[in-house]
Amino acid sequence: MLQHFDPNKDYGTPARVSENLITLEIDGVAVTVPEGTSVLRAAALVDINIPKLCASDNLDAFGSCRLCAVQIEGRRGYPASCTTPVDAGMKVVTQNEKIAKLRRNIMELYISDHPLDCLTCPSNGDCELQDMAGAVGLREVRYGFDGHNHLDAEKDLSNPYFSFDPSKCIVCSRCVRACEEVQGTFALTVDGRGFDSKIAAGQDDSFLNSDCVSCGACVQACPTSTLMENNVIEMGQPEHSVVTTCAYCGVGCSFKADMKGDQVIRMVPYKGGEANQGHSCVKGRFAFGYATHKDRIKTPMIRDSINEAWREVSWEEAIGFAAKRLKEVQATYGRESIGGITSSRCTNEETYLVQKLIRAGFGNNNTDTCARVCHSPTGYGLKTTLGESAGTQTFDSIKYTDTMLVIGANPTDAHPVFGSMMRRRLREGAQLIVADPRKIDLLKTPHLKDAIHLPLRPGTNVALVNSLAHTIMSEGLEDKAFIASRCDDKAFIKWQAFITEERNSPEAMQSITGVDAEDVRKAARVYANAGNGAIFYGLGVTEHSQGSTMVMGIANLALATGNIGREGVGVNPLRGQNNVQGSCDMGSFPHELPGYQHVADDEARGRFEAAWGVKLDDEPGLRIPNMFDAALAGSFKALYVQGEDIAQSDPNTQHVEAALKALDCVIVQDIFLNETAKFAHVLLPGSTFLEKNGTFTNAERRINRVRKVMPALAGKEDWEVTVALSNALGYEMNYNHPSEIMDEIASLTPSFTGVNYERLEELGSIQWPCNEQHPEGMPIMHVEDFPIGKGNLAITEYVATDERATRRFPLLLTTGRILSQYNVGAQTRRTENQTWHNEDVLELHPHDAEERGVNEGDWLGISSRAGQTVLRAVISERMQPGVVYTTFHHPGSGANVITTDSSDWATNCPEYKVTAVQVEKVTQPSEWQKNFEDFNNKQQDYLRKGRRSRSEEVGQ
Amino acid sequence: MNHSQLDQLIIMANQIADNNHLDTEAESIEFIATHIKKFWARSMKEELITYAKEGGDKLNVLATQAIMVLSEQYTSRST
Ligand code: SF4
Ligand code: SF4
Ligand code: SF4
Ligand code: FES
Repeated sequence: MLQHFDPNKDYGTPARVSENLITLEIDGVAVTVPEGTSVLRAAALVDINIPKLCASDNLDAFGSCRLCAVQIEGRRGYPASCTTPVDAGMKVVTQNEKIAKLRRNIMELYISDHPLDCLTCPSNGDCELQDMAGAVGLREVRYGFDGHNHLDAEKDLSNPYFSFDPSKCIVCSRCVRACEEVQGTFALTVDGRGFDSKIAAGQDDSFLNSDCVSCGACVQACPTSTLMENNVIEMGQPEHSVVTTCAYCGVGCSFKADMKGDQVIRMVPYKGGEANQGHSCVKGRFAFGYATHKDRIKTPMIRDSINEAWREVSWEEAIGFAAKRLKEVQATYGRESIGGITSSRCTNEETYLVQKLIRAGFGNNNTDTCARVCHSPTGYGLKTTLGESAGTQTFDSIKYTDTMLVIGANPTDAHPVFGSMMRRRLREGAQLIVADPRKIDLLKTPHLKDAIHLPLRPGTNVALVNSLAHTIMSEGLEDKAFIASRCDDKAFIKWQAFITEERNSPEAMQSITGVDAEDVRKAARVYANAGNGAIFYGLGVTEHSQGSTMVMGIANLALATGNIGREGVGVNPLRGQNNVQGSCDMGSFPHELPGYQHVADDEARGRFEAAWGVKLDDEPGLRIPNMFDAALAGSFKALYVQGEDIAQSDPNTQHVEAALKALDCVIVQDIFLNETAKFAHVLLPGSTFLEKNGTFTNAERRINRVRKVMPALAGKEDWEVTVALSNALGYEMNYNHPSEIMDEIASLTPSFTGVNYERLEELGSIQWPCNEQHPEGMPIMHVEDFPIGKGNLAITEYVATDERATRRFPLLLTTGRILSQYNVGAQTRRTENQTWHNEDVLELHPHDAEERGVNEGDWLGISSRAGQTVLRAVISERMQPGVVYTTFHHPGSGANVITTDSSDWATNCPEYKVTAVQVEKVTQPSEWQKNFEDFNNKQQDYLRKGRRSRSEEVGQ
Repeated sequence: MNHSQLDQLIIMANQIADNNHLDTEAESIEFIATHIKKFWARSMKEELITYAKEGGDKLNVLATQAIMVLSEQYTSRST
């Protein structure tokens, strides 16, 4: 009996999990499947493929088309095999004369209301209706097209990525069910009944005006060409596909890149991908056009000063120029005067090489990564309490969660595919607690049962988490057995004494957090009493002056309630960028070698010294904000930045700009002339995820393969550029393929010893640690013990941030992300995702708006002690009074001109989430914005001149 | 609002101290010193040690003492 799972096949109905196995006979073949499996799926598992139209294995069976009819011994009629569960001893016949006739009749009815333009239809060759007509042997259509039909129904072309052509619709409702069950948005309905029924978005809106979030699930579900990617309509069907990993958020979805030659036709979420299991969001699914955008930098460029035009040069010349400048700086200002920044968007292998270049080639530890500005407190906090700098679960584990506590995260926008998984679990009845200043969309999940929203004031996370823990301990809700066996005694006793002090009670903290004490108590009870309570958190936890303290507070909650070490529970940091986890794992931080091994650890450092053949510094290097300060102080003079845009993403933009201007040499490696590159002397073309081989590690520690589907536009993958630079500096690197880099990583990193490309090919993906003890990786962490032995409950004293509302700055600004744009927007702004969000706006509560006489759409000046910018007003009840909100996806909006250099005490992670501001109506852009505009125009002109000079040269 | 490098280091050291009032003063000092030793670059430590030795009046009490602990370690290291 062949039962190998093939992710490219549709088994008709979802897999069922059961310990009870049922054996039946289908067309004389014995099949054994878990109880609850449909006859359709059981048959598909032994390669008996019953025709079907309305069923798909990512949707619950609906039983509307009847094409999957079978005969079952002892039962009457022709039951639909998709809605019929298997029974022990059942005997099923899937093919005979009568069944064949029935299926042909059904198909005939469908086809009689369907255009017969198969040859020119975009689905030609990839249409289930066509396949089924073939499968049932349809040869004639007796009804003709003269009667009442839908052949002239109007197309909906409002969505920039896909079209809706209702004339081809067979009303199988797969799209409606995909939107509900897979995506959880409920944007589509079947309007009308019987022959008149049709698919409608919202209240008969266009797709664009409906609630649709353009995830593409309906397009993928549609068996006809009714819902179809515009790219396929324009370019035709793909001819091969390659499985790779999304380069946007930390969910790390697997996709099939459907190709025509080296052109990507579409990205289709891959069912075999364990993180996303066949689902996607608008970014990964559709927003890949930036890869071939005209703005791509395709030739290396150099210049002596940022006040002159670029010169396009050969790779050799650019690398030689960069190396010479770096050497000169070091000769003048010393070994520690240069450094580099690795990218959380590049692969593990590339990140590893950059930090290696810095430590071994530059001879110092001045390496850091943008994780500094997002999840560095996660590293610190989880390592202190649980012993490992990583989330404890798989995404899939949410299927077993009874209560989810979501703190400072907005998953439906920032981690959409996981947001959909959360919504599914919420519809199944899990309880939701949200601690967030804003009323995030998860609270508006359709069919949500119970939800508690704790709308705390920005900057008071620790006060809130302490009062939750206080309630648990003072009401005796803790898991005593877990504490006794798994937690460090001494630490626990100290913590218990601290947390039960009256000053940590919800009542005492109420005036600080602004959250009703009774709601806090209720939330604590719901979380502690849940069979499985899981905590999910995002940058709303880390990006605070007490970010690290808060992460420890979260770990405390999980430890005290025993919610660690099994399915459905845990501490789950939702990572922002695709490879934040990986860039941290790969030793990007100045104090840690790959695998979180401290540079002062002689044994670990010794291993690296032996392998790399150089002496390494045993003192940590500068972190990103320290580099800026040192640049302004004159001791830090040159910077190599791979795939990061610090001039846009880091706080206090004017400070960053001044620091960048103070440097003698800035080398930027990026796919576009980003904001940082405007301050650069060397611009090395980067490559997108489509142009390289490597691995990304997602938020669940899952190492996924990135596969090259097209040649690198500028001729080199990013790792090759680092290799060239290193060699030019005189530190030799020699690799033929990223797999060799991974082999080196594995040889030096205890948690990676079992990872290599062959193994990844075999297993699909691996969740580290993967070594001798865990040869296939480790989905759930801390099952038996912690890397530090016992769990360490940490004291988490609440200390108010200095960023407080004052008379001069009475409002608190908090920043975040939206679904369609990604981070600094360099990629998504160069796609049709602009349709949804083409400018950053300032959201404020109606009360604050009224007080200031602000109307929707007014220009608002926002000022903080760091600077001023101007944005358009959006008035929104999502905000609480006193709190305003914006995003930083567009450089000209200058959101980070406002944010300050206030940062986490332990890691210097900036406090993006709290800035005291004032808001007033204005009539013109801010001074900074005007300067930005001028500077930008000048730099774009320098780029144009550089490009022209080259084409003239080539032309001669 | 742009602080000099030294100002920033003082803010950071004070902040570490403010966030780590442990049971005894000795424990707090030890914690702060270890934290700075483990996470700060050599140049940053040196700058703050020099400042503390020169009086360091903007550093809070715990931070000053922690820096003095570091100062001993770093002086003994380099000799
Ligand atoms: S694209 Fe996604 S959200 Fe939009 S209608 Fe289709 S399934 Fe629903
Ligand atoms: S649009 Fe496609 S999936 Fe939806 S009902 Fe019509 S044929 Fe079925
Ligand atoms: S952006 Fe995130 S959720 Fe969306 S497809 Fe990519 S990895 Fe998946
Ligand atoms: S596939 Fe079973 S009824 Fe449509």
